[in-house]
Amino acid sequence: MNKPAIELQNLRKSFGLAEIIRGVDLNVVKGERHAIIGPNGAGKSTLFNLITGKLRVSGGSIKMHGEPVENLKPFDISRRGLSRSFQITNIFPKMTVFENIRCGLLWTMGYKYSFWTLVNRQPRLTERTDEILEQINMSSKRNDIAGVLTYAEQRALEIGITIAGGADIIMLDEPTAGMSHSETDYMVELIRGVTENKTLVMVEHDMGVVFDLADIISVLVYGEIIASDTPENVRADAKVQEAYLGSAADAEH
Amino acid sequence: MELFFVNILDGLVTGLLLFMLCSGLTLIFSMMGVLNFAHASFYMLGAYFAYKISTYTGFWPGLVIAPVLVGIAGALVERYGLRRVHQYGHVPELIFTFGLALLIEEVVQFFFGKNQMAYDEPHILDFTAFTIAGNAFPAYKVFMIFMAMAVFLVLLYILTRTRVGMIIQAALSYPNTVQNLGHNVPLVFMGVFGVGTALAGLAGVIAGPVLGTFPGMAAVLGSIVFVTIVIGGLGSLWGALVASLLIGWLQTFAASYNIVIGDVLMSIGFSKPVNIDDGAFRDLWTLTVSQIGPILPFLLMVLVLAIRPQGLFGKRET
Amino acid sequence: MSVVKKVSAESNTTAPWISASQITPWILAIVFLLILPLIFTSGSALTIMNQMAITIIFALAYNMLLGQGGMLSFGHAVYMGIGGFFCVHLMNMIEYDNLWLPLPFLPLFGGLFGLISAMFIGSFSTSRAGTVFAMISLGVGELIAASSIIVVAFFGGEEGIGGDRTMGPSTFGLDFASQIEVYYLTATWLVISALAMFLFSRTPIGRIANAVRDNEERAEFLGYSQRNVRFISFCASGFFAGIAGGLFAINYEILTEENLNLATSGSILLITFLGGVGFFVGPIIGAIVFTLLQTVLSLYTEIWQLYLGTLFVLTVMFFPFGLTGLIAIHLQPYKLGKISILFRPYLHMVVPAVVCVLSLSSLLEIAFHAKHAAIGEEQMSLFGIGFNSHSFLPWMIVIVLSIGSGWMIRRIAPGLNESWDEANYVEPRV
Repeated sequence: MNKPAIELQNLRKSFGLAEIIRGVDLNVVKGERHAIIGPNGAGKSTLFNLITGKLRVSGGSIKMHGEPVENLKPFDISRRGLSRSFQITNIFPKMTVFENIRCGLLWTMGYKYSFWTLVNRQPRLTERTDEILEQINMSSKRNDIAGVLTYAEQRALEIGITIAGGADIIMLDEPTAGMSHSETDYMVELIRGVTENKTLVMVEHDMGVVFDLADIISVLVYGEIIASDTPENVRADAKVQEAYLGSAADAEH
Repeated sequence: MELFFVNILDGLVTGLLLFMLCSGLTLIFSMMGVLNFAHASFYMLGAYFAYKISTYTGFWPGLVIAPVLVGIAGALVERYGLRRVHQYGHVPELIFTFGLALLIEEVVQFFFGKNQMAYDEPHILDFTAFTIAGNAFPAYKVFMIFMAMAVFLVLLYILTRTRVGMIIQAALSYPNTVQNLGHNVPLVFMGVFGVGTALAGLAGVIAGPVLGTFPGMAAVLGSIVFVTIVIGGLGSLWGALVASLLIGWLQTFAASYNIVIGDVLMSIGFSKPVNIDDGAFRDLWTLTVSQIGPILPFLLMVLVLAIRPQGLFGKRET
Repeated sequence: MSVVKKVSAESNTTAPWISASQITPWILAIVFLLILPLIFTSGSALTIMNQMAITIIFALAYNMLLGQGGMLSFGHAVYMGIGGFFCVHLMNMIEYDNLWLPLPFLPLFGGLFGLISAMFIGSFSTSRAGTVFAMISLGVGELIAASSIIVVAFFGGEEGIGGDRTMGPSTFGLDFASQIEVYYLTATWLVISALAMFLFSRTPIGRIANAVRDNEERAEFLGYSQRNVRFISFCASGFFAGIAGGLFAINYEILTEENLNLATSGSILLITFLGGVGFFVGPIIGAIVFTLLQTVLSLYTEIWQLYLGTLFVLTVMFFPFGLTGLIAIHLQPYKLGKISILFRPYLHMVVPAVVCVLSLSSLLEIAFHAKHAAIGEEQMSLFGIGFNSHSFLPWMIVIVLSIGSGWMIRRIAPGLNESWDEANYVEPRV
């Protein structure tokens, strides 16, 4: 078929002497929903930060749609159609909900560094922003200051900012962390909706969410991928059960 | 050659003095992330306090009491001013210390007026320690060198051999982690700020008689201090030491050699234009090295930042 | 906060191209500027108004950095100064070298030179925000200020360089020999620059500058290079600072090292912060209040800088949103229709507060006089009352007054706080 959306080859990252990512090979096929799971300290967030350009790689390669992107700046990677959310809520707290979403749209709608257009006089921009607000069910909060929203609302807003630019690869870092059951269910439906026809890569701790959403699950343990398969096969994998699922499942009950 | 040695010693005095200011500033910056714009103002306070004390008791008690008073003033500023502003972020903190620098200058003028104070070195040190080819080297400058060295050694001892020093060292490298380790961070902040400003005060006490005790003395040194720690690398004590000495020597040597830049240009093959009074670059031909001395530290800073943005010894990107 | 709210209200799709509420403040400001010299006709009033207008442009330009872009500069006088120096040189070229350039367009060239120098310096200074940017701006500012003394050919050394604004080709029959003509020229540029800067804050780059200020990491992951965003804001700010410099050159016909140094850079920070960095009108209010305070206080007291310094430090500590912020926090009670709750406690507070400020400053004045007046000159006067600053009674009176009023304020304060909470209380939506 096509070239994979994301292709990691022998990816490595060390901090000083500690090697956190120890040769990861991973393919994310276009259009699939791919979850990365693993115990705490396995290097999931590091892996995320490497792919999105926040950290420089120590070795190996990252390809996006077949093109090498390792060590590019975050804005460069974003411009190539990859958008991410953060583990810790990362929005523009002093702006309104509307403006938050609009910031996510400006670059991809071609406004770039323009100082000759007025943002309020762009009907297309305003329409598109309102559409995304509609999509994440936040039209009623349109003019609220983002910093005063509830936690769950801020997380939803962050998803909105992330998908606003129309990136075809969406990477979500623990989108349901710290949420109640009903909030989590809502978030799963939201994610399912907004990532329709897109490639989704997510790090997630909540196994319910993972098995509900993901087409493929990769298990990262101590900087290495020990399994990458469909949920059923991963669930059945002995290595995974030993390294991760068993203990995690115990801990959850 | 003899002049060279005199300059080496004079530059050492300036450099070590600068380091006494920079060390405190670096400690405060590393611990609290605050660049204390008013640091040179505490140096000025040290000189003025010591002067006031010296009018009652002579020079020596001021050497101890004045830095302590400055340290207390610094700790109070941290406790009642900075801590309040801290919640708004680093930029307002910097603005606060900037306002404080203005205010301290005005307060000093309020009490002491605009004139230079008659704050002199003690009589016991008012003799020539030695002469190099006819250039007298005063005993007081020898005393300054020893004082600065002593401060440096004490600081080194505290930082490397004591528990408090360990915490501070850890904070230099991992500022966030230390805060999470359960140390009484507000108290440590207040202490570091107090000690840092006391160091500046001590520098003022011993520099006052030589460089003059007047309301502009903070402004004279203030920018140079910042330039120094930027060159050395924000947060690096070794960087501060190296940069202080570098700038001390740079300024001393520039000030003592009256070389006309035009001559230098000619000696490397440029020819002097005929009607020099009209040319846009006429200043380039008539300036002397000693005239451009004051701008050399700033030039050096721009140069260093262009080549190595984190400074000579800087590790952390802030 | 309220400003942000207003912005979003304007962004409705149904909004007409220009609404009355958007254009009214500008019309009012223009009318105000037009009739101002008819009310205050004296030469000194015109001087102050010109100074104010120039300071407003400079402060607005400075706030493009500090307020909009989150960059704290200790060397922004450089861009105004360089713009001004170039303009004086241009004026001299008009006079001596037959350069054809009508004076009203001179500030534009000041702006261009400000822009060019900002592009040059910004190319390396904007790579970081925060403390590093502040330190580089300080170093570069000091470098250029110190250089200006030794580079006589361009900066004129210690004396600076002077020019004559009346030597250009006459424009609309004006030769700008009279101050009122200069006033209207300055006011025109003020309106143009303020409008341009206001509109700039509404462009994509203006909005993203805000985003980078609040969260540079997030902005990078949205496709924007934080460095480029800061660089563009910095250049725009340098451009408008240069315009202010050009107007300064026209008004004063001389520029010196003082236009470049840290004191000037520092006072524009003071002005902007005093007015309120989070608001577009903040620097305008700051510039007006500061110029008035400076003019009035320096007439009456020698220690006016002490008062300004104190005011500044207190503002940073207690009102980090500045004077405009102080006004803005009253919008909430006003919208709730509860502003009247505050009238009575405010009224109670006014007398002790005024007495406290006046008696404390009197105490400072008496102490200053007692300490610094020439020997034998023990008489001084405050508020028209003459007395001996070395005698016991005046000390006694001001000390008692300040302690008494301070005590009153402490007593009234809790009540005021309560009323404040009450006035801001929003009934929960059921």
